Amino acid sequence: MARGRGEEDDDIEDEEYEDDDQLLVDEDYDEDEDVGRGRGSSSKKRRRSDFIDDVAEEDDEEDEDDVDDDELYGGGGKKHSKAPRVGAQFFDLEAQVDSDEEEEEDEGEDDFIVETGADLPDEDVGRRMHRRPLPLREDEQEDVEALERSIQARYARSSHTEYDEETTDVEQQALLPSVRDPKLWMVKCAIGRERETAVCLMQKCIDKGSELQIRSVIALDQLKNYIYIEADKEAHVRELQAVKGLRTIFAAKIMLVPIREMTDVLSVESKAADLSRDTWVRMKIGTYKGDLAQVVDVDNVRQRVTVKLIPRIDLQALANKLEGREVAKKKAFVPPPRFMNVDEARELHICVERRRNSITGDYFENIGGMLFKDGFLYKTVSMKSISAHNIKPTFDELEKFQTPGNNGEGEMVGLSTLFANRKKNHFLKGDAVIVVKGDLKNLKGWVEKVEEENVHIRPEMKLSYLAFNDVFQKTLAVNEKELCKYFEPGNHVKVVSGTKEGATGMVVKVEQHVLIILSDTTKEHIRVFADDVVESSEVTTGVTKIGDFELHDLVLLDNNSFGVIIRVESEAFQVLKGVPERPEVSLVKLREIKCKLDKKFNVQDKYRNPISVKDVVRILEGHCKGKQGPVEHIYRGVLFVYDRHHLEHAGFICVKADSCCIVGGSRSNGNRNGDSFSRFGSFKTPPRVPPSPRRFARGGPPFDSSGRHRGGRGGHDALIGTTVKIRQGPFKGYRGRVVDIKGQSVRVELESQMKVVTVDRNFISDNVVISTPTRDTSRYGMGSETPMHPSRTPLHLYMTPMRDPGATPIHDGMRTPMRDRAWNPYAPMSPPRDNWEEGNPASWGTSLQYQPGSPPSRAYEAPTPGSGWASTPGGNYSEAGTPRDSNLAYANAPSPYMPSTPSGQPMTPSSGFYIPGTPGGQPMTPGTGGLDIMSPVIGAGNEGPWFMPDILVNVHKSGDETLGIIQEVLQDGSCKVGLGLNDSGDTIIVMPSEMEIVPPRKSDKIKIMGGSLRGVTGKLIGVDGTDGIVRIDDSLDVKILDLVMLAKLP
Amino acid sequence: MFFHIVLERNMQLHPRHFGRNLRENLVSKLVKDVEGTCSGRHGFVVAITGIENVGKGLIRDGTGFVTFPVKYQCVVFRPFKGEILEAAVTMVNKMGFFAETGPVQIFVSNHLIPDDMEFQSGDMPNYTTSDGSVKIQKDSEVRLKIIGTRVDATEIFCIGTIKDDFLGVINDPTTA
Repeated sequence: MARGRGEEDDDIEDEEYEDDDQLLVDEDYDEDEDVGRGRGSSSKKRRRSDFIDDVAEEDDEEDEDDVDDDELYGGGGKKHSKAPRVGAQFFDLEAQVDSDEEEEEDEGEDDFIVETGADLPDEDVGRRMHRRPLPLREDEQEDVEALERSIQARYARSSHTEYDEETTDVEQQALLPSVRDPKLWMVKCAIGRERETAVCLMQKCIDKGSELQIRSVIALDQLKNYIYIEADKEAHVRELQAVKGLRTIFAAKIMLVPIREMTDVLSVESKAADLSRDTWVRMKIGTYKGDLAQVVDVDNVRQRVTVKLIPRIDLQALANKLEGREVAKKKAFVPPPRFMNVDEARELHICVERRRNSITGDYFENIGGMLFKDGFLYKTVSMKSISAHNIKPTFDELEKFQTPGNNGEGEMVGLSTLFANRKKNHFLKGDAVIVVKGDLKNLKGWVEKVEEENVHIRPEMKLSYLAFNDVFQKTLAVNEKELCKYFEPGNHVKVVSGTKEGATGMVVKVEQHVLIILSDTTKEHIRVFADDVVESSEVTTGVTKIGDFELHDLVLLDNNSFGVIIRVESEAFQVLKGVPERPEVSLVKLREIKCKLDKKFNVQDKYRNPISVKDVVRILEGHCKGKQGPVEHIYRGVLFVYDRHHLEHAGFICVKADSCCIVGGSRSNGNRNGDSFSRFGSFKTPPRVPPSPRRFARGGPPFDSSGRHRGGRGGHDALIGTTVKIRQGPFKGYRGRVVDIKGQSVRVELESQMKVVTVDRNFISDNVVISTPTRDTSRYGMGSETPMHPSRTPLHLYMTPMRDPGATPIHDGMRTPMRDRAWNPYAPMSPPRDNWEEGNPASWGTSLQYQPGSPPSRAYEAPTPGSGWASTPGGNYSEAGTPRDSNLAYANAPSPYMPSTPSGQPMTPSSGFYIPGTPGGQPMTPGTGGLDIMSPVIGAGNEGPWFMPDILVNVHKSGDETLGIIQEVLQDGSCKVGLGLNDSGDTIIVMPSEMEIVPPRKSDKIKIMGGSLRGVTGKLIGVDGTDGIVRIDDSLDVKILDLVMLAKLP
Repeated sequence: MFFHIVLERNMQLHPRHFGRNLRENLVSKLVKDVEGTCSGRHGFVVAITGIENVGKGLIRDGTGFVTFPVKYQCVVFRPFKGEILEAAVTMVNKMGFFAETGPVQIFVSNHLIPDDMEFQSGDMPNYTTSDGSVKIQKDSEVRLKIIGTRVDATEIFCIGTIKDDFLGVINDPTTA
């Protein structure tokens, strides 16, 4: 630290100044009471405050007078007079930083100091004291008395505060640098020359005096390449010669140290204290980089530490080396840590010496200069090559360090470091603790109060204690490092940190500070540190959710297999596959899961009793014969039964439905009449209302999000999916379904206008119709809404009926009329629920996106090859006897698929069929103005979903996505697509479900896929929300069209 | 531990049950509803032993259901920490074994099984002492001490220990 300006002054002068100065300082105290109070409450602070008290006044004056600095320092005798003193202080502090050489020189004056009577015990102050009168000569003895008094007056207060431990935070705060204080600048200098630079600057200071307007220089040992310069302005550091002419300084980069970090510059880390025997450290360099090591011995003088490591030694290589053979210089391979086996080494003819350490008396095996004991490598390294801060050994590492025959002991010794790293406020009032160190070891108690380091505990009362020691009535203050949380077997706890965070369970066993917990979820043992645990009655399962998928969900996997999530790991799930023959568990990444299956099916058991979810079944055949439990999921005739006695696979058993029998009555029997409708209805739930066109074609972002939202079980707002009426605002009186809720605003899909509007939540009345309670179950949409693999979902849709109804002929019968009713708005909606169910947006998702306009969706489905419906489409529909002409249209008209006619207006040929269909299809939207305009669009949706020749589509077939251009739309709705952007690519036939239209961006060429302008090309000149502004090529008209009707052209 | 206590419950009865047999219907419905349930406070309701008092019924608006406050005596079973119980082993695995006393499931961790008993895997997994004299396997009866309970809304789960004096197998199915 260098501070100062001023020449070597005459001693007499100096003394005068001294007196002056003291007076000044005294005044200063009066003025700056708080500075004085807080002064020197720590040695670090002290140094600063030394500095502050004399500089402060300057500063104040500087600030107040706003005098030019040069003037200030140049003129003003008062200022000048202070210079020598400041200079003296510089020496003082420099001495502290640098070395104690000066101490010896000063030695002779020590008695003098005693005479002055300033025998303050604090070394720092003492040194200051004997330095202060340094310039005095013997001949000024007469003044000594006065001086002494003044000195005592000056330091009385500070010495008082020095030992006052009750310094409050507020006082401490007052010492912190503020904006008014000089700033610290970080200046780059040559590596290894930091001190030299500081000394140079000091010299410069002495030489140049007040010209150099920096206040101090700090060179830190731990900071290479930089020094700190304290100055008021950057210019003082840069231009005004402070750093000029010093070749060790690279003044190019001068950085300001933020006020907040200024104190850190001078904070001293008590490093030495950390390193003690048995602490855990990590190696920083070399082969063992990152390895855990335990300190065996510390040599503070030589800055070396002996650590115990698990050796990473390739014995073969070692043998080669020792025998002088050429060692392959491959450094890439780091041998795994393994305990040294002396016998193995001997086998390789490695010379193993057994030596006795003369100091400790321990025997070490010496192999090639390395010392081993008990298989550990003992290595002496520099303190710098290990890091001892914030070392948190993991359980595994600690366990590895545990050599057999060394149990218990080792773990206890590791405690100190483990504790050193624990969080603040680790102990809370009421925690049960046990003392692990010191006299009170094994004393149990409860935390009463926590103060910084000390924890006040109320000891567990013991009669013997009570008898002779009254102290135990009260609380005891124990250092928190001596405490460990204490649990007893049987406590129910929750893990709050570490790898097992979030898990809960019951303590089964306590091994010192390690607990063995029986997890509530997995019924497995978990080992955790007592520190990571709090007592809790909460039962959680740890992490049970990644993305949309939760523990115990039935999910569909990539390869069309399915299974139940039985365990959630970090970033992966364990899934019990739906293979009834044998339990098959696979680890599945999030992206490998296609969707959650949350559909309720009914299947039949061995005796043809219907089984539905939650019915209790007994397994009659197979490997789990005799097990019994409620059915959790049903899919493709496979049941997932949960048996709590079954410990494998989280209690889940996968069985074929027909190898089970239902136990007792079906749980759903009671309400089957009402409920079954919705259950059946949920097989296929075309909504009554054709959804607004924006919904299909592609999962636009808003819809997508809503779909996701619905998919998740958590955060699921009950309002979503309900029908509401808007009470206020521009849409007052409209009814619609809630699609999404974001904070206060609710997105409502209007029934009458086929658009989604956003309204304030307060503006709706949500009691119009309560959505069906089974809404949750019909989240078929899930898959389709997952943008990744949307195309597949419809496939499953088809599968469902294929499998199920086949087995249960009734279903068909039941289903069809049901669906009819749903379809047919005029039919009595007797069980209103299922109609709502149908209308439920959740179920819309099923068909919506891919089969635009759900009424048509069936039409589209029917011809889909491979679908279960294909066999009886006609029957199905005609049987339905719906008044909807569109169905008939399908039955009659063999080729209603407009796209087959590539030309622009495909509507025309069959429009006759469609238009009559429209009223049928639109029963829910009576009297809307927009209807007529929209209906052709809907009609258009009837044929292959809008795909038209020439448009750009994204084809995702067999997992990957390619761009392609539709060349021709075939009769069955599939399209001939030329892959690649130019026509050179392959041509493939793609199902509509396997491709999606590429959404156009601004200034893309587009083709209109629906509406009266279907087939017309244009240019998208702007986008407004969900509407696109299009300039039609032919007429140059500008039209505003729904974006979903626009397809990009190559 | 078993307790014979008086509990109260509001029973809703469908109007179709009104008539001469109202009380019988009420009681049978109560028995059906209550027996076998579990509450955190009282534990499992094992059996209803008698009806103390049936209060005045209140007809609910709209539904016609009638709500009767019924006081009934019942036997409840609630396991406590520290309680010694006898239980039948239902499953044995390497983590320990599960045993049941009535509706209560108890897990005994292998840490809480005497150290001289070791896990033997195989067709019939079991814990056996080194001399083979004592064996814990499925259907064994053990006497154990409950050291912890976790009470959920519908289930009580306990962990127990047999690592204590006078605990352990009391009846071995193989020898019996």
